[in-house]
Amino acid sequence: MQTRTLALFAVVAVASAMGGSAYYLWSRSSATVVDRSLTPGAVMERVYATRLTDLKGAGQGLDQWRGRVVVINFWATWCAPCREEIPGFVSLQERYGALGLQFVGVALDQPDKVAEFAREFRINYPVLIGGLDVMDLLRQAGNRAGVLPYTLVIDRQGNLVGRERGGLKESKLEGLIQPLL
Amino acid sequence: MMRFVLLLLLLCASLARGAEPDLLEPDKAFRFSARLKDAHSIEVNYQIAPGYYLYRDKFRFALTPAEAKAGAAQFPRGEKHKDEFFGEVETYRGSLSIVLPFEVAKADISAIKLAVTSQGCADVGVCYIPYEQNAELKLAALTSSAPRSDAPASPFGVPAAAPAAGGDDDRVAALLGGGFWLAVASFFGFGLLLSFTPCVLPMVPILSGIIIGAGRPVTRTKGFTLAAVYVLGMAITYAAAGVAAGLSGAMLSATLQNPWVLGAFAAIFVVLALSMFGFYELQLPATLQSRLSGASNRLPGGQGLGVFAMGVLSALIVGPCVAAPLAGALLYISQSRDVVLGGAALFSMALGMGVPLLAVGASAGALLPKAGAWMESVKRFFGALLLAVAIYLVSPFTPLPLQMFLWGALLVGSAVYLRAVDTLPADAGGVQRFGKVVGLIALVAGGAYLIGAFSGSRDIFQPLAGLRATGGVETAHATPFQRIASVAELDARIRDAAGKPVMLDFYADWCVSCKEMERFTFSDERVKTRFQGMTLLQADVTANTAEHGALLKRFRLFGPPGIIFFDRDGREMQGLRVIGFQPAERFAAVLDQAIGQ
Repeated sequence: MQTRTLALFAVVAVASAMGGSAYYLWSRSSATVVDRSLTPGAVMERVYATRLTDLKGAGQGLDQWRGRVVVINFWATWCAPCREEIPGFVSLQERYGALGLQFVGVALDQPDKVAEFAREFRINYPVLIGGLDVMDLLRQAGNRAGVLPYTLVIDRQGNLVGRERGGLKESKLEGLIQPLL
Repeated sequence: MMRFVLLLLLLCASLARGAEPDLLEPDKAFRFSARLKDAHSIEVNYQIAPGYYLYRDKFRFALTPAEAKAGAAQFPRGEKHKDEFFGEVETYRGSLSIVLPFEVAKADISAIKLAVTSQGCADVGVCYIPYEQNAELKLAALTSSAPRSDAPASPFGVPAAAPAAGGDDDRVAALLGGGFWLAVASFFGFGLLLSFTPCVLPMVPILSGIIIGAGRPVTRTKGFTLAAVYVLGMAITYAAAGVAAGLSGAMLSATLQNPWVLGAFAAIFVVLALSMFGFYELQLPATLQSRLSGASNRLPGGQGLGVFAMGVLSALIVGPCVAAPLAGALLYISQSRDVVLGGAALFSMALGMGVPLLAVGASAGALLPKAGAWMESVKRFFGALLLAVAIYLVSPFTPLPLQMFLWGALLVGSAVYLRAVDTLPADAGGVQRFGKVVGLIALVAGGAYLIGAFSGSRDIFQPLAGLRATGGVETAHATPFQRIASVAELDARIRDAAGKPVMLDFYADWCVSCKEMERFTFSDERVKTRFQGMTLLQADVTANTAEHGALLKRFRLFGPPGIIFFDRDGREMQGLRVIGFQPAERFAAVLDQAIGQ
């Protein structure tokens, strides 16, 4: 009689322990999904740590425009929606450049195509060439599907205040930028 | 296996829903596959989603090992567009098949790897950065293999996007998306998994109580039959309640989990427990009893109806504990109106949950003593467990000091029954001494709870924390939620958030996992720091007004728990919902995603 009861208690105890660990493992296993996007602050750290080459082949750090309102536009010449928004950027740079607005283009493309495009469209702001690490940066900035155009808006204090996926209308961007200037 | 299926389906689900609404992941937008056409050419196939296109002149092919050389790819005719910058460009939509000739320099190569980089865009006005997809082709067998995407080999290749952390409800809804029998089988497995969660443990003493309470010697068969009837009651309730709630979209758990219903259940358990302690015999009037026993002679399983009813009740009690799978199944039913599948899935889930109970039933018949003094001890043990279940049931809406008092009282009472305060005879055996040890531990723990209750401790897991001289009482800062009560209020608050991500937490007093979330997760430092950049909203739907119902309906929720995130533009972030309790670490990862959006 006694052994039987003890056996019952043992079964209950073992079952609870197994259940507990199984639940733990199960709940942990669903936590293994990798998250690649960062907080805005961490994105800005990555942005400022990024160095790219310009169209002349010289190294340029993205941190050199600290203190201005910076719009970083990721694009490519083969991407039609990217090309459509660039004349608007050129116009905004012309009008607000003196007030502290700085556009920076980061092209995920072949340098010769980019240079040709920049000449033809009279791009009046720096255009840099992005590689593998820029794609990584894009994803961490929240652009998980990896699409272009993608635009980051950074205020004078270096805070990431806007992330825009897809083509930006000149008027919409203007409304976003004006309060920051 | 179960976990594998789950993860697989989760992957599909997250790819399908995508991290960003209204935009497909590249793997889904451009479905890639490749096969050997013959010994010298590969057929590369793309299934391009409607609204998406690929550029003809942007494809790049690479073969490994180096002995394999790719020739000039043969493309079909595409759509021609005038491009102001590139002149004429050709694009592909729908299905695309490219033939890639190749030569292998060495004869002993059995497999080659193909990496195709493609570039495409969506009509909504975005383009994908160059995307690499891979396939392995076995030359010997001339068979194809599943395509896959992995880490980039070229500077323009990109790794497959990490799947977003889908909410539990997504995962379950995804499960239901498969075949009928797969879904039913998966849910059975899911139930089996759930049976290992603490949720189901309260059912063990209930069932054991029933079996022992039957009084007469319980045979193995009878124990098993009783358990089976109990499980059946539970399963039918889940199926029926699931279907009903799915059809009406009503807040099932709210109606069944309000303090009155839970209080009534707790009272039933107390009554049952007291009879276990031998204060009285629970018996039906003699006439009724004789009639019933006459019936039960014909009906195998004896007091089947009562046990069945108990199973029905138990299903309702454990409901909030299994909220996530329940919400997922209900979500699916309400959306697809596939009542048969939804009901069948819930039914099989409950059966899965019942497997260990069947084991208990079968073993109780075998393991429990037939008669004698030991029978009384076991009865008392289960009586104590029933009381514990009663306290657990009322704990969501009981003030903490009262909860602690009840736990303390139960522990002290158990200690007395374990004869912790009686002197042991000098010749006491091992079992008696062991019982005394357990009793003394219970006595001390019970004392601690009683002291905690009277000294205003605020933490049920640290009853004496309030007595710490220097540390003082921990000032548990409540999470700074803004309360909302209607859809209009929600919209206004989201507008006010202006650029900040918003978290909306559905809460109710009866929702145990909401309380757990508050106590263990929201209070965690990692979570608190992430909360700082967010607007936190909470909808307390305890009262369950029509406006609360509208709020829940908007998010296709049937009741709390449920946490929903909105991006900086005020749109819900699909696939990021949190339903049910999540530990701080996991929840912090979800918050990172919400902030990073």
